[in-house]
Amino acid sequence: MGEVIVITSGKGGVGKTTTTANIGTGLAALGHKVVLVDTDIGLRNLDVVLGLENRIVYDIVDVTHGNCRMKQALIKDKRFEGLHLLPAAQTKDKTAVTPDQMRELCDNLKKEFDYVIIDCPAGIEQGFKNAIAGAERAVVVTTPEVSAVRDADRIIGLLEAAELREPKLIINRLRPLMVKRGDMMSIDDIIDILAVDLLGVVPEDELIVVTTNKGEPAVLDGNCRAGQAYRNMARRIAGEDVPLMDLEANDGFVSKLKKLIGFK
Amino acid sequence: MKKDKGSKGKKLFVKKADDRLSEDSPAKSKGTPDEGVPSMAEKKKPEKSAAPDKPDKLPEKPDHLPEKPARKNTVESDPWQQAFADDNTILIKRTVRSGQCIQFDGNVVVMGDVNPGSEIIAAGNVVVMGALRGVVHAGATGREDATVSAFKLQPTQLRIANHITRAPDGDYVAPEHPEIARIKDGVVVIETYQMGQDRQSKIG
Repeated sequence: MGEVIVITSGKGGVGKTTTTANIGTGLAALGHKVVLVDTDIGLRNLDVVLGLENRIVYDIVDVTHGNCRMKQALIKDKRFEGLHLLPAAQTKDKTAVTPDQMRELCDNLKKEFDYVIIDCPAGIEQGFKNAIAGAERAVVVTTPEVSAVRDADRIIGLLEAAELREPKLIINRLRPLMVKRGDMMSIDDIIDILAVDLLGVVPEDELIVVTTNKGEPAVLDGNCRAGQAYRNMARRIAGEDVPLMDLEANDGFVSKLKKLIGFK
Repeated sequence: MKKDKGSKGKKLFVKKADDRLSEDSPAKSKGTPDEGVPSMAEKKKPEKSAAPDKPDKLPEKPDHLPEKPARKNTVESDPWQQAFADDNTILIKRTVRSGQCIQFDGNVVVMGDVNPGSEIIAAGNVVVMGALRGVVHAGATGREDATVSAFKLQPTQLRIANHITRAPDGDYVAPEHPEIARIKDGVVVIETYQMGQDRQSKIG
């Protein structure tokens, strides 16, 4: 029996989809059987980030409406045997699926997979309600910005109201140098406000843009620091005790590397 | 196929996710100027042989037989015309964007681009006067002779009848010429579009 984890944030553009793709790929790389479920019906992206867009024939709406069998809609990843995607529909909207249908879907999926990871749409409306309906654990993604933290706080409240206790927090796109200068909220500032456990911190990394555009998750890039952060988070979800990576030390390493190749 | 649900009957169905398309895209039957909107054509179908000026009254008219020579100019009677005008065709004069879905029981012609995330599903052929980057399904009701052609044929996924294809993984080369996809010997092949190719094959 697997685990159903929803990845949510409230605010848009903080990195839910990127996080879902990377943690999912990270767990699959560890040898787990993983299915990623895109519940952002009408604005689907997860398939693009994973580079699987051109394989979609059936989607989540077809499954919940009984137009096809679950097996037909699941797309096998091209890199990992254990990674699967259940894509969202693009030509429908959020009302095409109900929370009850999602609950049933998650129950079916977790029989076959070790991890069912749900990519939640932005907002707190129907799409959010669908996404959390079948979930057992929640991961909240935020960036070190007041607006994103405010929305994360609201989301944590809604998750608790939906009996999803103790959500974990991911702080995305942190810039250690700006934090040092006092121009950006620090990890402690954010945890102070949200009062939840940290799952991981992802440093700002240009490589994320590159890998996302290519449809290859950053976890597969050994040199990508954000990828390293996601690898650590995957291991933490799988139950390992991995210390937080030292963001500043890594900064030093990068500048050393830059000096080495003459960038300064 | 899953999209067949929309293609029952001979009715015009143009479906889009957010806004319904209607007046700005009149469907026309090629070669029959007396047929306007497809729903009309559908009603008139049994009396297509009628003279174009009084189509409604003709069935009651006992003396409509002498008008029969008018048939010569209709699609049904003229094999030459039949070769060209076999289906309804819809013309879409704008960009089809992500999330929009055009379903039509006939040919679809798009004057504009078809962006990724959109779908064109046609019972007949699909012609895109622009870049085709979305999902396209020609011959959705099972017609294996349906074709897909576009100025830039780079679809996310290309389906003809019950065949599904996609571009190979890896670096994508943008097409330089208009191309046409069709089924040949049970496989979907994509070739540079050549003028007159279709006409030759139809008559010959």
